[in-house]
Amino acid sequence: MKRNPESVLNVLGKTQYLDDLPENAGMLHAAVVLSPSAHGRFSGLDTAAALAMDSSVRVVVAADIPGQNELGTAVFDEPLLAAGEWHYHGQVLALVLASSRSLARKAAARVAVQGAEQLPAVTDPREAAARGNIILSPRTQRSGDVDTAFLACDVVVSGRVESGGQEHVYLETQGAIAWPDDSGGVRLLSGTQSPSGVQKIVARVLGLPMNLVEVETRRLGGAFGGKEDQATGWAALAALGAVVSGRPVKINLNRRDDMVATGKRHPYSSDFRIGLKKDGTILAFEADFYQNSGAATDLSPAIIPRTLFHAAGAYHIPNVRVTGTMCRTNLIPFTAFRGFGGPQGFFVIESAIDAAARALGIEPADIQRRNLLSDGDEFHYGMVAEDPRAKETMERCLAKADWNKLRADIRDFNAAHAGLKRGAAATPVCFGISFTKIMMNQGGALVHIYNDGSVGVSTGAVEMGQGVGRKIALVVADALGIPDSKVKIETTRTVTVANTMPTAASTGTDINAMAAKIACDQLRARLDALAKDRPGLDFVQLVALAHEQRVDLSAHAFYATPGLHYDLATEKGKPFHYHVYGCAVVTATLDVLRGTYQFDDAFIVHDIAHSIDPVIDRGQVEGAFAQGLGWAALEELAFGADGRLLANTLSTYKLPDAHFMPRMDVEFLERPNPGTVANSKAVGEPPLMYGIAGYFAVLDALKAVHPDKPAFYDLPMTPEKALRFLSEEDSP
Amino acid sequence: MKITLTVNGDRYERECAEHHTLLRFIRETLGLTGTKEGCGMGECGACTVIMNGRAVNSCMVLAAEADGAVIQTIEGEAKGPTLSDIQASFERNHAVQCGFCTPGMVMSVKELLASDPHPSVDAIKEAVEGNFCRCTGYTQIVEAVTELTGTGAKGGLDHV
Ligand code: FES
Ligand code: FES
Repeated sequence: MKRNPESVLNVLGKTQYLDDLPENAGMLHAAVVLSPSAHGRFSGLDTAAALAMDSSVRVVVAADIPGQNELGTAVFDEPLLAAGEWHYHGQVLALVLASSRSLARKAAARVAVQGAEQLPAVTDPREAAARGNIILSPRTQRSGDVDTAFLACDVVVSGRVESGGQEHVYLETQGAIAWPDDSGGVRLLSGTQSPSGVQKIVARVLGLPMNLVEVETRRLGGAFGGKEDQATGWAALAALGAVVSGRPVKINLNRRDDMVATGKRHPYSSDFRIGLKKDGTILAFEADFYQNSGAATDLSPAIIPRTLFHAAGAYHIPNVRVTGTMCRTNLIPFTAFRGFGGPQGFFVIESAIDAAARALGIEPADIQRRNLLSDGDEFHYGMVAEDPRAKETMERCLAKADWNKLRADIRDFNAAHAGLKRGAAATPVCFGISFTKIMMNQGGALVHIYNDGSVGVSTGAVEMGQGVGRKIALVVADALGIPDSKVKIETTRTVTVANTMPTAASTGTDINAMAAKIACDQLRARLDALAKDRPGLDFVQLVALAHEQRVDLSAHAFYATPGLHYDLATEKGKPFHYHVYGCAVVTATLDVLRGTYQFDDAFIVHDIAHSIDPVIDRGQVEGAFAQGLGWAALEELAFGADGRLLANTLSTYKLPDAHFMPRMDVEFLERPNPGTVANSKAVGEPPLMYGIAGYFAVLDALKAVHPDKPAFYDLPMTPEKALRFLSEEDSP
Repeated sequence: MKITLTVNGDRYERECAEHHTLLRFIRETLGLTGTKEGCGMGECGACTVIMNGRAVNSCMVLAAEADGAVIQTIEGEAKGPTLSDIQASFERNHAVQCGFCTPGMVMSVKELLASDPHPSVDAIKEAVEGNFCRCTGYTQIVEAVTELTGTGAKGGLDHV
């Protein structure tokens, strides 16, 4: 059994995360002063009490920023430090430096806001849209002729769908360390998915060229999108502190600050209209997505198109019109989270199908199976489905769950039990792979063969537990024809591979392992040329000879995902390299008296294509499903009406624990995916959507109690909502 | 104040502030950074160590309370470079993704197996209930334990 060196370090407890590295003498610790409410104005900060605590205390404010006070990438609307006005609860007003972490936190607590004036806060996306508080313009994707198609339908159903936000809860909180450099710049260690992104913004904030800002990322204790753009501010604060103080500065958020002050998955409020023939064929679908974007643009403009791309789920619907609006509210800027807008789209179409099934008097699964994508079907954004695996995975999954027997068993069980009801639901998934922003689909690698035959590989990929380093090592070992124990994956550094993209959108391996492979192929060709005249040399001997003969043993390579194009004017093109398919069946048991439920089984058939490392891939499927199930049926990101986050600790924000998770039975559909590294498919995000089946499994059990009551589509399912449905006359 | 305690078989006598937690003492005073802080409020289990035979959240114990205690952290689990059975099974079964929950998880499992060498799946889940893992979905963690103890079928992917 081959060992994953990263996992060995992890089980030994030797892995060094940001806060585990030895601290330098003279290092200062940073804490932040956060805004006290969702919207307000202030004239300044009273720092006297903080400064009086110790001579090491220093308070850094917006006016201390040497460059631009701006974190935004798509739109410049996100100051690093608020100046004059704050737009959400938890916005950073000041940075406090001190000789110890506890002193910095205590000093930060003593900084007082002066001249505070509360301003009205908008938290509801529809209200924001009605007031014209939107970011950029709404986007609409369409195919066919929706209005005409609705006229030809036997049944048309419309409804409203809510889905809540989600906190990432990466176990390692956000942080960064910055060292002033004698070049006049800074060196940074950042807990980011995007070292080059941090480099660019830090350079902007400090007013430096990018070549004076060096960023390294060793590894992350989880990220899930939460450290894609949202890690940048903390790194920029550490860098600012280092420049202002001339000392190394470390910032490492405590859990509460991390929960209050960092972005999360976007809540959505949506309307749908679906039209079908009597037999369950979907003819037309229309949806309006109101994305609660929060107070700043962040990644919302990249996330909204993915909601639209996935608005029709795993189905072929000939007439589609879907619109997404980014609504600016006074909540934390919402951001990337595994699935990136996709889950919100999926939940709406699955809700629409559930509502339509009721109207037609058939089962949702009948509509799902009838409308799954077939080879050659055109998506509403113009791409054609090639080798779609929706039907195959769904049929295999239903067979695995023994669907007909399961439905019959559940009916029998429910007939025999008054206090308990069981339910089951299936959710098929089709998820496009590539960054929705085409320019981001690029990456580089630098491979060194040292003259003893050992190999070091640098790419833009950040290891965060997803196993990208391991997969790259296996690809490199295979390409060079050496044991993987000879391959070391280097930390991710802006000086080894420049201008990299975040490790995100499930593309980490697709892009970075491919770039590494191209570099290895170059090296292999150089060695093979030598080997022609000297047969019988092993790799180590060949490398020694190459060095002797002055052959370059290093190679840099670049990979840009081919064939992508998209026309924003027509909203048509080929935004994805390929799609990943799969299906989950989830079963649940409901306690009718209490509204509580447990998940019993999850059957998953997932389109893995060729797996580079099946054990890692199964971990990705199960872990993503757990997050999806948490989002769908447990995790409630509660905000007060005043815009303050109520769920700001792990006791008020519930996470899936070992008991929450059902038995999982995961099966892979293994058919190679030509045109990718090792014929693999990306795996990070698609399985998250399987969690949606959990919502509908509980809903199915609820319907067994009140078959005639209209269902509600308000995710996450919670025992409170279930109880309200069970006890009240009208649905919640 | 001065406290004396045994950590991973080594005896330490160290100064510590009265309000410092055992977690802080282990990480900052002793420099044993294998034990992690995930929340600092007794809610995540990342800081789990074994104190006098019991798994505890070291962020909820004052260092002063550990005066005289016998403590084991993740650093005391392997014998030199050789992984303990629990560690080897975690690695083999990919019960580890980002690894941040792992040291605490291993400590909770260790406490369980000390009192119940053949735990049921429910008992395993019970033992790690206070340890959040955001990465794995727990199945591979449970499997790492059942494979070790022979108490439960391996779920899923037969062909892997
Ligand atoms: S750090 Fe101790 S329980 Fe979370
Ligand atoms: S492996 Fe990341 S939290 Fe458990």
